[in-house]
Amino acid sequence: MNRELGVSLGGVTLAAVAAATLPFIGNDYFVGIGFTLLTWIALTEAWMLISGMAGYVSLGHVAFVGIGAYVAALSWQVLPVWGILLTAGIAAGTLALLVGYPCLRVRGPYFVILTFGLSELLKFVVVNIESALVVSGRVLFGAPEIQNLFYMMLGLAWVSLSVALIVRRSRFGAGLRAIRENEEAAETIGIAASWFKLAAFALSAIVPGMVGALIAMRISYFEPLDFFSPRTSLLIVTMAVVGGSDKPLGPLLGVVFLVLLQELLWANLPQLYMIIVGVLLIGVVVWIPEGIFGGLQRLTARGTR
Amino acid sequence: MSFQLLLAALVAGSVYALVALGLNLIYGTMRLLNVAHGEFVMIGAYVAYWGISLWSLSPLLAAPVAIVLTAGLGALIYYSIFRRAMRSPAFVERIEANSLLVFFGVSIILQNVTALVFTANLRGYRYDDELVSFGGASLPVNKIMVLVTAGLVCIASVIFFARSILGLAIKALIQQREAAALVGIPVARIDLISFCIGFGVAGFAGVLVSMTEQISPFMGFPFTITAFVVIIIGGLGNVLGSLLGGLLLGVLETFGVAFTGPSYRSIMIYGVFIGVLLLRPQGLFGPGRART
Amino acid sequence: MTLLSIDGVIRRFRGVVALDGVSFSVEEGQIAGIMGANGAGKTTLFSIIAGNLRPHAGQIIFAGRRIDGLRPDKISRGGIARTFQIVRPFGNMTVLENVTLGVLYGRRRERSVAAAEARARNILERMGLADRAERLASELTLAGRKRLEIARGLATEPRLLMLDEVLAGLTPPEVTDAIDLIRKLHQRDSLTILMIEHVTRTLMALCQRIVVLHHGKKIAEGSPAEVVRDPQTVSAYLGVTQS
Repeated sequence: MNRELGVSLGGVTLAAVAAATLPFIGNDYFVGIGFTLLTWIALTEAWMLISGMAGYVSLGHVAFVGIGAYVAALSWQVLPVWGILLTAGIAAGTLALLVGYPCLRVRGPYFVILTFGLSELLKFVVVNIESALVVSGRVLFGAPEIQNLFYMMLGLAWVSLSVALIVRRSRFGAGLRAIRENEEAAETIGIAASWFKLAAFALSAIVPGMVGALIAMRISYFEPLDFFSPRTSLLIVTMAVVGGSDKPLGPLLGVVFLVLLQELLWANLPQLYMIIVGVLLIGVVVWIPEGIFGGLQRLTARGTR
Repeated sequence: MSFQLLLAALVAGSVYALVALGLNLIYGTMRLLNVAHGEFVMIGAYVAYWGISLWSLSPLLAAPVAIVLTAGLGALIYYSIFRRAMRSPAFVERIEANSLLVFFGVSIILQNVTALVFTANLRGYRYDDELVSFGGASLPVNKIMVLVTAGLVCIASVIFFARSILGLAIKALIQQREAAALVGIPVARIDLISFCIGFGVAGFAGVLVSMTEQISPFMGFPFTITAFVVIIIGGLGNVLGSLLGGLLLGVLETFGVAFTGPSYRSIMIYGVFIGVLLLRPQGLFGPGRART
Repeated sequence: MTLLSIDGVIRRFRGVVALDGVSFSVEEGQIAGIMGANGAGKTTLFSIIAGNLRPHAGQIIFAGRRIDGLRPDKISRGGIARTFQIVRPFGNMTVLENVTLGVLYGRRRERSVAAAEARARNILERMGLADRAERLASELTLAGRKRLEIARGLATEPRLLMLDEVLAGLTPPEVTDAIDLIRKLHQRDSLTILMIEHVTRTLMALCQRIVVLHHGKKIAEGSPAEVVRDPQTVSAYLGVTQS
């Protein structure tokens, strides 16, 4: 492990330790915001593995969140909490493997709309399953306290961010980036692109699955239309793109910005919030494609990379 | 019974064909992945709704207003966003991915502005919905009007693209963009015209839809999905192909729902969408187009 | 010994026959050339050998093993490296990163990124790219990018290096440098080289053996001197029949 990576991981761990004090110094409201921040950090960093590094942008990542939540709802009070998290992650990863194999052969923007279509399909399938079972919403009684959920989500965010940092500097990550730059050339120098993409896709699904389970516990309620909402996928993409989807630390900026904005606007003007999200997305894609993080890097760069 | 279904399928299919026609123009000429296409259908629908609710304006009279509005909005988007963006080589290099995100933003903005202003409630109006019976089937007049109007526009468009100079220019642009510029076709102007026609047709389709269905700010997405399916099936830039594809999709959807149930409608549409994308992993391009 | 053997390869593209039963072989340690007008099927042949395309018929045998139809990454690990006619560097990565990737995923399958980087620096030295190691690949001149493409291929430690028109678009001094480089690579690394070139004189100067393709068929094969006198080659290139 080289020094830069060590420093980054150390910094992340320190930040996590600092964040761990939040439940002691803040009230439930702030712990809740912290939970939300950590949720999106965990989601965007996981998403980065396939979309940022390999360049296969997923607009359907909510499918993994939803599956994890569904697992939690189905196995509630049957499995212990850690068992639920584990199962949720495995379920999401398995879904990614099954779906990824045919889908990752589709290149470029078609992959993007394909992932969107798949998550919508899954949504309607679960909706139909639930209505066939004559279930309208599942309640999760006796869910853990927000403080405990906070710590679990902190753990997931820490894992997600660390994995992103490690992969980026690893041999595997270099291969992913080569695939993103030019897949055919990457294959020509010996990178088995199909397996790499599949591995990245599956890896990118596990944490979101667990996140879904935790969110279900937080809300104590599962309803497919909420948990499979494409808005979640869109927010992941926007946060990552606004923050900067090239380097692992980029999405953090986007997450903070958009979560704070959400806290301001969501209660009273949710549509206004979404309008701003849309404007941000357009603005960044057209004018600052490397995101805020990348833009800052560019401004503060002193010649060499 | 199945004649009834067939008529219903044709009604749905003719609308799909119309919407796909608009998308064909925008995606075909500029390779912009317009995932906001359905939102322009939605806008057309709202124009018709307010036309009849406020001024008792027949939808067919509201249609020109809707067309002008959506075409104008399209021109606005073209000038304010894409003209600027297309000047940056980094943007053009990944133009499909980038345009997809940009249009996604546009669709979010349009949906939420509409929801903010008009609330997210479902709305509908009654118009010419007396039933007419013939041949063992009965159909409300408004659906017949939709079928006839959409059908006429589709036929007109086939003729337009086959015969008129403008239509041929647009087809040339779709098939070989660089070569079209070389033979003197004013690319920028045709781009703008295609944008306007594309969005205008979507708005018109929205007016038709509003006659027979309830409307909401979020009604647009399924139309975007079906439009993409149709042009993948029918072939990019192939006007006749997408018309037939639209009808085919209408048939598939209507008969499929008849056999399985209305709650399966979405599953089927997305299922076809995914199936079509998977079976054509190379996307919509014909041979001879360079890929990185 | 015969390193590469092409046997009856056929490839169609929607009704156009790009390669129509092409057969020839390349001995280990040779520099062999492929000559032919545009559209003769040269790059298609390269793509088939390297695994980017599948042949519709025929066999390709490399170092005693059949490789036709294998995935490109498997063929690369078997010891074949290729450059592309229109170069494909990893544009947003540095020159060093480009070559490091070749070391990581080439025949050596180097596990450590640091060790791979060290090897890559060596290769950059030898290729004259060391001074640009930290530049983005997209910032290099065309000659630089072609050199980078070769360096990246070399990093995979191939037995056969396939060069697709590496001299195209270079200025005369750049061409001289490139020819020099190719000669050095051939001697120092005992590489077998198969090159496609338009410029006949270069092929004559460098190659020990030349294959001439025309409309997907092989019309001549032999030493440079033989090929140049071959009546079919002459008529294909000059359009005259000589008695």
